[in-house]
Amino acid sequence: MRRIISTLIVVALALVMTTPLMATAPQEEGEIVLNFPTFWVGQDSKAEPIADLVESFNAEHASEIRVVIEANPDTDGYRDKINTQMAAGQAPDIFVFAPDPTTFQYYDSDILMDFTEELQGSWRNDFVPGYIEESTKNGRTKSVPYEIGLTPIWYNSELFAQAGVDEFPATIEEFQDAADALKAAGIVPTSQMTGGSNAWTSMLWYSHIVGSLGGPDVWSKPLSDPLFVEAAEVLLRMYQDGNTTRDAVGGDAGVSGGHYMAGNTAMFINGPWYIGRIRGDAPETYAATRLAPAPQVGDYYGHQLGFMLSNLAAANTDDERKRDAVITFMQYMTDPDNVKLVSEAAGSLFAIKYELGADADPLQREFVRAASEATFVIGLFSSRYPVDVVAEFGQALAAMALGEATPAEFVEMLIEVNN
Amino acid sequence: MFLSPALILFALYFVYPLGFVFATSTLDWNGISNARFVGLRNYLDNFQSRTFQISIRNNFIWVASLGFVQISLAALVAMILARQPRGWRFFRTVYFLPNVISQVAIAMMWAALYNAEYGAINQFLELLGLEHLTHNWLGEIGTALPSILIQQVFYIGYFMIIILASIMSIPESYYSAAQIDGANVLQQEIHITLPMIRPILVTAMTLAMAYGLRHFEATFLLTNGGPAHRTSVLGIQLYKMFSALDYGHANAIGGTLVIIGLVLIAVIRSTLGRHADASDMTQ
Amino acid sequence: MNGIAGTRLTFSDATAKVGKWLVLGFFFFFTFVPLIWLLLSSFKTNLELQMRPFALPAVWQIQNYVNAIQISGLPRLFLNSVVVSSVSTVLTLVVTSMAAFVFAREKFPLQQALLNVILAGVLVPIIALMAPYFRLTNALKLYDSLWALILTYTAINLPISTFLMHGFMKTIPKELEEAAVIDGASFFQRFSRVIFPLSRVGLVTAGTFVFLFGWNEFIYALLLTSRIQSRTLQLGIRFFVSQFFTDYTSMFAAIVLTIIPSIAVYVFLHEKIIKGLASGALKG
Repeated sequence: MRRIISTLIVVALALVMTTPLMATAPQEEGEIVLNFPTFWVGQDSKAEPIADLVESFNAEHASEIRVVIEANPDTDGYRDKINTQMAAGQAPDIFVFAPDPTTFQYYDSDILMDFTEELQGSWRNDFVPGYIEESTKNGRTKSVPYEIGLTPIWYNSELFAQAGVDEFPATIEEFQDAADALKAAGIVPTSQMTGGSNAWTSMLWYSHIVGSLGGPDVWSKPLSDPLFVEAAEVLLRMYQDGNTTRDAVGGDAGVSGGHYMAGNTAMFINGPWYIGRIRGDAPETYAATRLAPAPQVGDYYGHQLGFMLSNLAAANTDDERKRDAVITFMQYMTDPDNVKLVSEAAGSLFAIKYELGADADPLQREFVRAASEATFVIGLFSSRYPVDVVAEFGQALAAMALGEATPAEFVEMLIEVNN
Repeated sequence: MFLSPALILFALYFVYPLGFVFATSTLDWNGISNARFVGLRNYLDNFQSRTFQISIRNNFIWVASLGFVQISLAALVAMILARQPRGWRFFRTVYFLPNVISQVAIAMMWAALYNAEYGAINQFLELLGLEHLTHNWLGEIGTALPSILIQQVFYIGYFMIIILASIMSIPESYYSAAQIDGANVLQQEIHITLPMIRPILVTAMTLAMAYGLRHFEATFLLTNGGPAHRTSVLGIQLYKMFSALDYGHANAIGGTLVIIGLVLIAVIRSTLGRHADASDMTQ
Repeated sequence: MNGIAGTRLTFSDATAKVGKWLVLGFFFFFTFVPLIWLLLSSFKTNLELQMRPFALPAVWQIQNYVNAIQISGLPRLFLNSVVVSSVSTVLTLVVTSMAAFVFAREKFPLQQALLNVILAGVLVPIIALMAPYFRLTNALKLYDSLWALILTYTAINLPISTFLMHGFMKTIPKELEEAAVIDGASFFQRFSRVIFPLSRVGLVTAGTFVFLFGWNEFIYALLLTSRIQSRTLQLGIRFFVSQFFTDYTSMFAAIVLTIIPSIAVYVFLHEKIIKGLASGALKG
């Protein structure tokens, strides 16, 4: 026994000793190594195409620049790590963040590299207009817009047909009729959820409704505007009278997506990243899925929700060569041909101008069509309000759905956290 | 001299970080731009927030449930196993196993058990014709907190092992003497086992209560504090504030937890622990 | 320690007997069902897991295990986990048993206060310490090394382990040490020859705790490392958690693969270490 234990200890110590104390990967003379921690690894649909891109970049710049992908699975853990590194004043060489009022606070310091000058030039033409402006705060662009999200309403055309509804409802009255017809056919109309960190599916419904009530500039209105209460009333109805599943309160994205995939619910909202999942797990629902704009509640109709999902950022540096290397890499990542490769392989959309090939997924092409047909595009609640207000959204929504709060009190709960 | 390695590690990994926590708890700071000193403002804000009040109440419910209910159950099972019924080694191992599995997997199973639409509990009730008793267990005001509490309180494995180890090191002669005096099993447990394991029970209870104070994971995975904050605890609030880059308020929660905990430990050790200390500390 | 049952009375009362087995059965159910569930779930599709969580898999998805094995560097991660968990366990036990001995046997000013302050370490929510631990690890130049995790885990477990060891040491009768003192044993010898071997129960319970902590820890493993050479198993398991979707069934397959050795280690070590220490094979 003693021998086994002491052997184990010796082996363990030997292993510990042989791991170098610092991350000193073998480095060639003059080569610039850039660490790129990202969650685009593992089973993320962008993992492979991004890894391929980085590999070909490294080959192209052999012995000059080498980008090393540092795998950080678990998006929440990744965000915590980046936040901690920012607080310690040590940003990673290159990293990714989801732009919202909370993460835009990164701009407050000079830890981030400033791309303002570079993005004034010809590089700017690669981007879809608007996204660079959105990534600019106080005149400085300290991150590069990259992946974007688009979240139209998904509906199961088979289930609609079963209920005798031919067209996706264009107004909220038609929506109510369609919901009644679906219920009569034994189908739950919508997938909803109050759980997770942001009550994702329901937060998207709310953003759609808010857009119809307030139009393109809705997010510049304060939460005290009556339209936010009105939108809450509409959302509340989706939680009542069997308009959603019983487990919606407290349910997470697995619950709301699961019910849609299993054919229990007829309507759902999510982005193009979900295509691969549904195609693999529920081919019938995938084949029956169509996309639509939200039914009209107020004065506006035909809009979509579009938002920046991930921006690329880098640590500021005094070393001119390193700075040049970072910018070279950023321009490579955002090169339209390279973006097209990632987009087609991963099913995701980007803030860069490119044409999807003819063999892209049909549902993904539907997304592109939905974006081009949109009368206007607005952001999401979660891209317009800080993380703590977004977290309160799910709590306040549950309170409203459980009859603990009126729609007006729901909005008040959000306002209280926002102050 | 014997203490020095422990003290050095403690100074590095607790005194400095706790200093950091308390120092930043007096700041208005997002971790990035310049901090502003605000005194006890963050603490005041927290105590005035309704969510914080619910959370602190829930923390005390956790403290009581883990400290009293969980430890009692653990002690009961340990006493049964100490008498070595058939298969006791097997039971001892199996009871401990949930501690080896990642909490993520266990939480997934409980979320599935409690689910209103396809959960096993509701399906079982429907089978018995008790449909009126079905609930959206994790999504209703009245059932959410009890559901998580039950899930945690019955995972007695670790404390059971501690207590069992302590019982089994009681010299056998104590029991044979009592037997000769005609004491039955229950009397033996009350008059021999309980007093003998008292220091360990106090230790286990203190630990369980400390866990009640910093409880986070199961709630985070099952409800994230919902619905309507009803299952929230301070750990959840602290995490949310960190995520929102509100280091001042987050660390004020951290500071509050440490202070409450210190008071709690002092109270437990001066009431429950006194007897045990008095008999043992006389050198 | 195996002979107690022979001389003690067994529950004679029939109700007590039924009650006893009910209790044992209930907890068996409570702890064993998750294991079976985990095993079955690891053969399902994610949609099945979501919608029919307690049904048998329609088609047994071996693919989940293929996915699990394909996580890059799983053996390396496993080995690292073993190293980090065992080295931090040994370190913690050595450091804290010495400290606990002093607290349990010596008297000095502010003793109780100091002990209480150390115990306060149990109360700190671990998330609150991310920023200071990240700075500290960088200051010690340990970022991205196994030592970063070993030291952090040792330190985090210091309060709880001191506390447990102290609790157990207080139950050791003082007469045993007095005999050693009469034989002229020094303070150190009292510790290494008498108390340390007698604290085996405490050592094993505290050690189990520290080991499992290192085995299951995720937050600091992610925060303090970046390359696979210095990472642990939990990071591998999280490879199935991506931005919009978690492949739970493959993750479960990975968990099952990693649980089997840990259960084996637990069962083996728990029995053997207690026996080994009892026969004095491992003295401080």
